[in-house]
Amino acid sequence: MPVWQQVYEEINDPDFVILCVAEDTGGEAVAGPIFDAAKPTYIQIVDVNHIISSAFNFVNVPSAAWIDEEGRIVRIDEGTYAKIHELGNKEQSIKFGNNVYTPALRDWVEKGAKSEFVQSVETVTGNIRELSFDQQKADAAFRLANLFREHGLTEKAEEYWNLTQTLNPESINFFRQNLTLSEEGSAGQAFMERRGEYESQKKDYYRPLDMES
Amino acid sequence: MAAAFMAYPELRHPFEAKPIHAEGSASVLYQGRQITLAETGSGPGLLINPEDLKGINGFELKPEGACYADMCIPLNSKLLITQDDKQWFDLTAFADLLEQPYVFDQASNVWSFAEIPAKRDNMMVNGLAPDFEIPDRQGNVIRMTDLKGKKALIVTWSSW
Repeated sequence: MPVWQQVYEEINDPDFVILCVAEDTGGEAVAGPIFDAAKPTYIQIVDVNHIISSAFNFVNVPSAAWIDEEGRIVRIDEGTYAKIHELGNKEQSIKFGNNVYTPALRDWVEKGAKSEFVQSVETVTGNIRELSFDQQKADAAFRLANLFREHGLTEKAEEYWNLTQTLNPESINFFRQNLTLSEEGSAGQAFMERRGEYESQKKDYYRPLDMES
Repeated sequence: MAAAFMAYPELRHPFEAKPIHAEGSASVLYQGRQITLAETGSGPGLLINPEDLKGINGFELKPEGACYADMCIPLNSKLLITQDDKQWFDLTAFADLLEQPYVFDQASNVWSFAEIPAKRDNMMVNGLAPDFEIPDRQGNVIRMTDLKGKKALIVTWSSW
């Protein structure tokens, strides 16, 4: 999250806000320290029920929407990295992210509707994911599971977490959230198998970023 | 994409057991809120006091129907039900009519509702940001409508 703080400070426009939303059922215990380390001045939300992902039909993190002054979405649902990140040592480092998203964001804040990165209503609505009835129902099941968790009803929580994934198997958010709260963790065997399926089926893990790098 | 490795098995079920609501009550989950209903009608669906409707999903009963913004759903005998001289609003029949998904846990008497699709037409058809209401880390309630007049980047992330 420090990277979004840096972007926020660089843009430094009183009419621009960042809502940074942690989709974390583990809550403040897991997301809080990461937020605090960034010394953020933007709006910080710990979203245990994934309300914001539901609102925008996001199925993975990081995802984002740009909203203009009139409440119009002008870009939505892209794998949203603010820079190229590098993890690991030099011999075995993994690079991910991009170096075009932040300049595009800055351009939009400066130029508004004249920015070349503003998309038409048709493009925006075309980029909003259509969710089936069952996929929408998964949101209700997830929130019910979380209510049971918060009230110490473990078997019920497990039952409805399972139902959540049955109803919306396409959601990486629900899949990895569940793994995160287990011994296996968010990037263990089950995750690698899921990634493998995406790669073998040539499915996008994120919607591709529609910007030239 | 690099996968962060995070495992918090100790946070899977960290809470002590406690009641969800008083005995005999029902709870409704909607948009991240829990609304407890002390009194409901009898039957297979969820019959609520008509005056509770607005606090649950924002719809208000008016002579022309159940209304939210410029949308009004005409009332009929499936939505407004009289039992022992008392009138109830059938929230599940309303959900079925609007194709709003929900999940019911009978043992705990909790009904969890997903969003009403008609309330999302403005996003799906016109590309307008959806309404939401969520507290920030400082406890301030953040609503989409509060952001009008500013450009906003809404970005999700996770610890995992």
